[in-house]
Amino acid sequence: MATYPKPLPAISPLNAPYWEGLKRHQLQLQRCQDCGTIWYPPAPFCPGCWSRQVAWQTLSGRGTVTAWVVFHQAYFASFTADVPYNVAEVALDEGPRLLTNLVEVENDAITIGMPVEIVFDDVTDAVTLAKFRPRRHAYAP
Amino acid sequence: MAAWDLKDKAAVCGVGHSPYGRRLNRSPIDLAGEALRHALDDAGLSRDALDGLIVSFGTPIGVDADTLASTLGLKLTMYNQTWAHGRFTASCIQWAALAVTAGLAKAVACLAALSFSGVRRPMMGGAGDHEGAREAGGGHGEDPVYGMTSPGAGAALVAQKYFQRFGATSRQLAAVPVAFRHHASLNPGAILRTPITVEDHQHSRLVCAPLHLLDYCLINDGAACVIVTTSERARDLQQRPVYLSGMQGLPGGRDEFIWAYPGFGMAQQAEFDYHAGLQPVYQRAGVTPADIDALFTYDAFSILVWMALERFGFCRPGEAAAFTQEGRIALGGALPMNTNGGLLSEGHIMGWNHHVEIVRQLRGACGERQVGHAQIIQWANAYGDSLIYRR
Repeated sequence: MATYPKPLPAISPLNAPYWEGLKRHQLQLQRCQDCGTIWYPPAPFCPGCWSRQVAWQTLSGRGTVTAWVVFHQAYFASFTADVPYNVAEVALDEGPRLLTNLVEVENDAITIGMPVEIVFDDVTDAVTLAKFRPRRHAYAP
Repeated sequence: MAAWDLKDKAAVCGVGHSPYGRRLNRSPIDLAGEALRHALDDAGLSRDALDGLIVSFGTPIGVDADTLASTLGLKLTMYNQTWAHGRFTASCIQWAALAVTAGLAKAVACLAALSFSGVRRPMMGGAGDHEGAREAGGGHGEDPVYGMTSPGAGAALVAQKYFQRFGATSRQLAAVPVAFRHHASLNPGAILRTPITVEDHQHSRLVCAPLHLLDYCLINDGAACVIVTTSERARDLQQRPVYLSGMQGLPGGRDEFIWAYPGFGMAQQAEFDYHAGLQPVYQRAGVTPADIDALFTYDAFSILVWMALERFGFCRPGEAAAFTQEGRIALGGALPMNTNGGLLSEGHIMGWNHHVEIVRQLRGACGERQVGHAQIIQWANAYGDSLIYRR
């Protein structure tokens, strides 16, 4: 794979399982085994009840767009060829919101409330990004 | 919690600042020294009368409290410093008020010095922006792997959501920078003084849509300083004291996102209908929003002005777009805001320049841009902290 020029995630002991999940093409977040809360970003214990009984759970990969922007300025040289590119906030069906890029859609066709589903983008041998596209299937994956 | 009993117990006795400019080619220590010197002279205090220092921001764009103290030969009994983030301006002044009323210090200089032009790599977005590398995410929603970078992009997300939720438009948002540029045109110290129109705003380039260039504040150099002492002592000094009547600190937690009030549903905020209620700052100052003669806010991006108005109950959620039209927030309007020109046009001294302006307004020293009969002025932010000053 050619050298990937864009920023890569800062992987820490706390968020490594999230990135390992994406590499396996699974969107996983932590779920509290005591109170059922699912959250993002990764935390050492449940932000709701502070339980340490936490497990990584595979999610549906479905959500809806809650906000989006279009970058016309390339702050990173590696994004120069991409402008104007979108960044969207997606609320997962399970609750937490992620920032992402929407693919397979024109920027001017994006709307708040648009149903989307995850697309796994293997940008390097070690890193997979969670991008989203307009939802195609009612009951996927 | 102890009952609030600090109403009017501390006061600002002196203010000062350096010139503001885009490329001053001066070090942060140099700029800070000039602002501090002017503030001490304004107060009529000697250097040795100063025993406290609270610095906002710090390296690499700003000055650090320890090196400033040693470089300027200060003799301090306490100093403190915030992390490199703009939200702590009022907090610094609040802590200074607590310090002088508690007897920890007699006079505390609060300041920020910034040299954005002096850093090698731009910090507001891109590879030099450390926010995106923070564990658990950037303070404004930065997520560099998706190209999500710069404080303004987080504000653009808020603006997009606001526009769609309430049917507001970029054209309506233009009223904010147009009003503040008018104020700057009356301020000889402002960096951008040429008046602008709604059309200028609409034709300025998109930086991170839906925000245009004229929705963004300046990136510049300069320093500003506010000296806080007890009200009792301030009354013996050469300037009319400007009292700190009420305050509320920075709210934190999962319901908070720096550019949106609770319930707005940004980042991990729960989504619900927000009601401002009567914010504690008013009760502590013994006033209501109707008593506020002028309002100042952290206007790094124009949308933050709408968020601040709604957060503090000057209007209800969704109403700020209409509220800010027809000159209501301009000088001569019902609620003049950021009469110095704001971060948008006077300069980005992280709001420290706004506090200098508030004090001068309450002294009646603002000349052409004086708010008539200004008695009570509030600093209140989209992110929830506030100070109420009175003359």
